[in-house]
Amino acid sequence: MRPTAPALVLLPALALLPVLIVVLNGAHGGGAEILGSFVVGAVSPAMDPALLKALLIGLQVTIATALTGWSCSLVLGVLLGCLSSERLWLTWSLPVWPAIVLRRLMALPRSVHELIWGLLLLQVLGLHPWVAVLAISIPYSCLIARVWRDQLQSLDPSQLQAMLQTGSSPMAACMTALSPAMGSVLVSYGGYRLECALRSATLLGVFGLGGLGMDLELSLKSLQFHELWSGLWLLTLVTIALEQGLRCWRSWGDQAQFGQRQVMGFAVAVVLSAGLGGVWLAHLFPDAGSLTWLPVQWPDFSSLRLAAEELPWISMLWDTLILTVLAAGIAIGLPPLLLLLTPARLWQRCISGFWVMVRVIPPPLAVLLLLLSNQPTLAIGALALGLHNSGVMGRLLQEGLEQQDDSAQVALASSGASPQVGWLYGLLSPRSPSHLAYGAYRSDVILRETVVVGLIGGSGLGWQLLESLSSFHWAAVLLLITTYASLTLIGEWLSDRSREHWLQS
Amino acid sequence: MPSRERQAVALLAVLLCQGAMVLPVVAQPTLKVGAIPDQNPERLNRLYGQLADELSDRLNVKVRYVPVSNYPAAVSAFRTGGLDLVWFGGLTGVQARLQTPGAQVLAQRDIDARFRSVFIANTSSGLQPISSINGLTSLRGKRFSFGSESSTSGRLMPQHFLAKAGVTPSQFSGGRAGFSGSHDATIAVVQSGAYQAGALNEQVWTSALNEGRVNTEKVSVIWRTPEYVDYHWVVRPKLDQRFGKGFTTRLQKAILGLQPTSPRQVTILELFAAKRFIPAEASQYKPIEKVGRELGKIR
Repeated sequence: MRPTAPALVLLPALALLPVLIVVLNGAHGGGAEILGSFVVGAVSPAMDPALLKALLIGLQVTIATALTGWSCSLVLGVLLGCLSSERLWLTWSLPVWPAIVLRRLMALPRSVHELIWGLLLLQVLGLHPWVAVLAISIPYSCLIARVWRDQLQSLDPSQLQAMLQTGSSPMAACMTALSPAMGSVLVSYGGYRLECALRSATLLGVFGLGGLGMDLELSLKSLQFHELWSGLWLLTLVTIALEQGLRCWRSWGDQAQFGQRQVMGFAVAVVLSAGLGGVWLAHLFPDAGSLTWLPVQWPDFSSLRLAAEELPWISMLWDTLILTVLAAGIAIGLPPLLLLLTPARLWQRCISGFWVMVRVIPPPLAVLLLLLSNQPTLAIGALALGLHNSGVMGRLLQEGLEQQDDSAQVALASSGASPQVGWLYGLLSPRSPSHLAYGAYRSDVILRETVVVGLIGGSGLGWQLLESLSSFHWAAVLLLITTYASLTLIGEWLSDRSREHWLQS
Repeated sequence: MPSRERQAVALLAVLLCQGAMVLPVVAQPTLKVGAIPDQNPERLNRLYGQLADELSDRLNVKVRYVPVSNYPAAVSAFRTGGLDLVWFGGLTGVQARLQTPGAQVLAQRDIDARFRSVFIANTSSGLQPISSINGLTSLRGKRFSFGSESSTSGRLMPQHFLAKAGVTPSQFSGGRAGFSGSHDATIAVVQSGAYQAGALNEQVWTSALNEGRVNTEKVSVIWRTPEYVDYHWVVRPKLDQRFGKGFTTRLQKAILGLQPTSPRQVTILELFAAKRFIPAEASQYKPIEKVGRELGKIR
């Protein structure tokens, strides 16, 4: 028996049950005063001119890094996505194995968190603004390539084949048959990646580039909540401005598909922002110097074996998997669950606000806040990661629903169905496949984000990786990164299989 | 399609230009300074200009403050030459010097030669003040939090003293210790009761206490560790080749010469919570290296 599509979307929300049971069980009021001062900080952020000046400079660094990283990753991602699509290789009547090999190889860069990429690149490139740009571009371009390739593969091939049979050149056939649909993927998914890049650039502030993330981290370290909130509000404003800007861009064009001009405009914007970001970074760091490659010494086999014997494999893998599965469940299931409660406009607005908030609050801060009224358990980490990512999923879902044709919902409503049922089967049901597909990509991200919730105590691959990095134990670092990559590959294989099984009937 | 191709070429051209844009103009050398103090870290980030200006005035070279707030990143940046002069913790300074042969210890604060950590406990945990190191065994089975992974006073030395008493992190509740990320966060998570006990830098504890940021009904000190050596200024080798003969010595003198005589120097000393800086020797940090190796933080 196959569950219906909307049920599939709501099922992951079951992860909330065990998490909430553990969290409510461990709840206590001990941190009330500190939580109180956090809330007070929200309504009275520090307005000290020196602080605001530092934040504004930091914001520039963050935005310049995000813009450059975003455009580089988009260009590279689309290129790699095309190269890893079997369909395109077939169009040129070439063997498909290079596409498959490339696709599998990309699991490695994708499975490593930006923060870890930053630390690794620092070893070979030294301290340089482009370390942060590369740290964003490498995992992002591989993630974009995966989405791009999946979208290419899922297009209806009949038009392409027809054109090929009538003797069109492969290039012309691809451009005519595939580019309209892929153009709208580029604009909507590409636009969304900019916000992700902004979040990553914020996180990467700790690498000597400064940036908003650095200010946030330092304020968090010393629990200066008034100052922390000055930065958080600034980040919120930028996030909302970006979201609204992209929404305006979308509403410009057609409902379902973007016009040729809009796509071209977007492509130009991507390229220009690479230039703008690069110049901006060069301006912000005038004495950055050139990028040079420093030699590295690879760990030998015996040190790898020693490291392998030292690592607590079973508990580490178990913690990471539980954390990832629970957080992914919350991230995928919570948005439709919240939207289902009532279709009232005000409620929907509130939820959008909630999603902006959970996206802006960095996971380490979320863990600390949750911890102040709870006990250190994996559930806390899962809740923090899950909520943070549900903000991303919720935003994507709402955007999709806005673009969705609502005739089915209207039809259901007029036949006497309750608003919830009408929404569920009329609106959510057609969006389910793409929500689940984005959910699969998000799970990738959540797996590598387990690195940033080490606070709950020496648990999981992520903490072990940070611990090994801070001990400069490269053999263990290499093993752990390989493990991350293997888990990502397995996850990719599982999600591919389940998609075939459930959604392509 | 030619127009498309043209656009593709334009795109490539812009991307390739990036490489040229980031190429530098090699001018007079800049001394790059990094510092991550445990106290008021967020203030340093705003007042770094003062430290850079003071050093620049005294040494007559360009000085730039580089805001690295991640310890492993600071160690790596020091090794690869992105930072010339860094205010390191005990452990991170040793790591940095081991990875950068020829690096020198320049100075420490008056308090760093005799540094301590404190173990704190939530009053509801039932933990009693400890009179000797063996009393640390009462922490077995409790929820316990360190500060950040690389911290000497928030992790390395507390873990060392625990090990001396026969307590390993696996004996804590949940089979591991937590890592709050910073000294202030350790106070917060112990005060809230999320963790029953924790360990942190005594200096941070004392100033939090003095500033009234601690609820003494909920959290109190159960043990002060013996003394050990902590923070120090570390400088890269061969600075004299870049900045002129005797530069490293002049740099050391400039740091040691900071006195609370001008407002700028008062601010700087306040930032580092120091009365003054005193000379330091690499040999003072041998015990830290030994502990670091024992606990696997130095390989």
